[in-house]
Amino acid sequence: MRSEARLGWLLVAPAVGVIALIAIFPLGWTVWESLHMHELRMPWLGKPFVGLDNYAEIAGDPRFWAALGHTAFFTVTSITLELVIGLFLALAMNRVFRGRGFVRAAILVPWAIPTVVAALLWRFMFESEGGIANAVLVDAKILSEPIVWFIETGTAWVPVILADVWKTTPFVALLLLAGLQNIDLSLYEAAAVDGANGWWQLRHITIPLLKPAILVTLIFRTLDGFRVFDLIYVLTGGGPGTSTEPVALYTFNALLQNLRFGYGSALSVVIFAITFGLAMLYVKGLGVRLGGEER
Amino acid sequence: MNCDCVNRGPPAAGSVGRCRLPAVTLVVAAALILTACDGRGDAGRQGSVIKFSGSALGAEGTLVARQIDRFNGLHPDIQVELQRTPDDATQRHQLYVQWLNARVGNPDILMLDAIWTPEFAAAGWILPLRPFAPAPADFFRATIEANTWAGELYALPWFADVGLLYRRIDLVPTEPRSLSELATAARGAMARPGGPRYGIVWQGARYEGLITTFIEYLGAFGGRILDENGQVAINRPEAVRAVTFMRDQLYGSRIAPLEVLTWHEEEARFAFQNGNAVFMRNWPYAYEPMSDTAESRVAGKYAVSPMPGAPGGRSTAALGGAQLAINAYSESPRAAYRLIAYLTAPEQMIERAQAVGQYPTRPALYDDPRLAAVRSIPLEQAKRAIENATPRPVTPIYTEMSEILQIELHRALVRQAEPQAALDAAAKRIDALIDRTGMRKLTQGTTR
Repeated sequence: MRSEARLGWLLVAPAVGVIALIAIFPLGWTVWESLHMHELRMPWLGKPFVGLDNYAEIAGDPRFWAALGHTAFFTVTSITLELVIGLFLALAMNRVFRGRGFVRAAILVPWAIPTVVAALLWRFMFESEGGIANAVLVDAKILSEPIVWFIETGTAWVPVILADVWKTTPFVALLLLAGLQNIDLSLYEAAAVDGANGWWQLRHITIPLLKPAILVTLIFRTLDGFRVFDLIYVLTGGGPGTSTEPVALYTFNALLQNLRFGYGSALSVVIFAITFGLAMLYVKGLGVRLGGEER
Repeated sequence: MNCDCVNRGPPAAGSVGRCRLPAVTLVVAAALILTACDGRGDAGRQGSVIKFSGSALGAEGTLVARQIDRFNGLHPDIQVELQRTPDDATQRHQLYVQWLNARVGNPDILMLDAIWTPEFAAAGWILPLRPFAPAPADFFRATIEANTWAGELYALPWFADVGLLYRRIDLVPTEPRSLSELATAARGAMARPGGPRYGIVWQGARYEGLITTFIEYLGAFGGRILDENGQVAINRPEAVRAVTFMRDQLYGSRIAPLEVLTWHEEEARFAFQNGNAVFMRNWPYAYEPMSDTAESRVAGKYAVSPMPGAPGGRSTAALGGAQLAINAYSESPRAAYRLIAYLTAPEQMIERAQAVGQYPTRPALYDDPRLAAVRSIPLEQAKRAIENATPRPVTPIYTEMSEILQIELHRALVRQAEPQAALDAAAKRIDALIDRTGMRKLTQGTTR
């Protein structure tokens, strides 16, 4: 028995080693780095150990808190829209109709486009006064004259959120569709026999039984949303001013533009802690079972 | 499932997997050795082998290769190799910083952007040039100022880039002598039947280009970012006037379209090239492509001049361009300097101007008939603009300082903040930056 356990450990050792090498070691290194002042551009400052100074600087940095606010706003808004629209799409795709396979594949096209490319597409549409967005909205009399989208906070968010919703809704829809297909059709038949209408069926059968799929989607999307970077980097660059800057962009800026390794690492650790905390919250608080005991 | 391995993994790897360790170490070691061999295998050297790095794309790349070949022919004791580095300045900067942090002696010669010299000098990454006896007096004053840190010259200017005011000569025949003349002329030309939609276009997106645009207005009103004592001067009345003037172009006289707040160099050029603007602030590069009648509607209808001044200040141009410096970890600094001296010599500069239209950094060359033959360089105006040029603040912390200013300026220009409030915020943050980076002590310690 003991030798069997030992063999077991031996067999998983390479995998464990790889995880340690690519996940735990860099994480530990980042934490260690975050306790130092390490400005790559300013070697005259040395690399002194500064304890939690970098974290104190983050706590007192209005740009960080603003970025956190922008990230939360972006995450909540885009995910809400994606869930609602995704649910409708999933319900539609779950029906039996001709060409269903084609529709299911076609709907994934936006998801398959690399984010940077998608962001550029949306930027072209909104960028100039003569862009498509302005032309359509002026034609439809929604706008009286073309506007410059990227110089006001309120309007700068529009293409950002739209681009994310456009790109990610298919993914959400697909996850929800998988959940829908697990629901036993006889429940609907029974409900129909009892005289329940479609709305009632949606509220009392579909949504409760879809809860695990919705929660998995939420985890994926919240974590993604919290780390949003490329989309905003390309679309607004965090502007105007810094009023659409998310934490990931701020971190990138500190770490790779300004080469402030200590402070940037501290920011990365904070983002990690937040996303990890969120994941925990979902897993524990909302009772998602990732292990599969439930069922 | 996965989480279990992560949580329980590491102790197990240490205690049980021990017998596996040597094998793994071997593999890693072998990989390391292989990579190492790849990097610096060719140790057989006769004379000095030096590596030159810089952007080496297209016509510019061909030119550099040709000049280096010639140098190799003239100096049998030195062998120069061209090491290609990214053309994009930010990427090249990042690469250099990584190499220099690792104290790598290659490339021996670094091609620096106008704003990097103090940073690299203060870091001890490039050598002061004094031991090699350069002749700084032969170069434009501003280009030398930009490469001087703590009283020492650290790099020689290779070619100059300078902010220019492009103007439609069919609409505004004479160059404006002041900013108010510029605004009046712009309004006048816009009001003409069939006149352009925009009076003036510039680079107003939140990036380094905004600072180069701003610095010209700032100088025009007599303001500075840092004063001669290194004190933050960005929230003084002259600077507020400059920002207010820029804002007035957008929201008051409306000679500049709001779109410029999202524009870089190319968007401005397209607007001007399509005949949509009376004036444009841009770099010399735009001069040549806009003379192409197939693409440009303004071919033959434009001229350049320095940006004009305003009461209380003087005509100011932002300075850009490239410099050559010696890697402090280079094994052959003497040979490296000889190449720098060769590349920045009059002959090579003229050849460069002829081949790729880049402005020489030696004023004397502007009287050379060979330069006059280069159609893409308006000699007299170019020389005047470089003489009026101001380097951006010569400080090792320029990049971060610029970032702060970009944000606060952009906030003021998009009307998220009033000019005074935005500049006060910028001043406060730049002050904090100076404290955090120990700049005050460093400047006092090194300037003697």
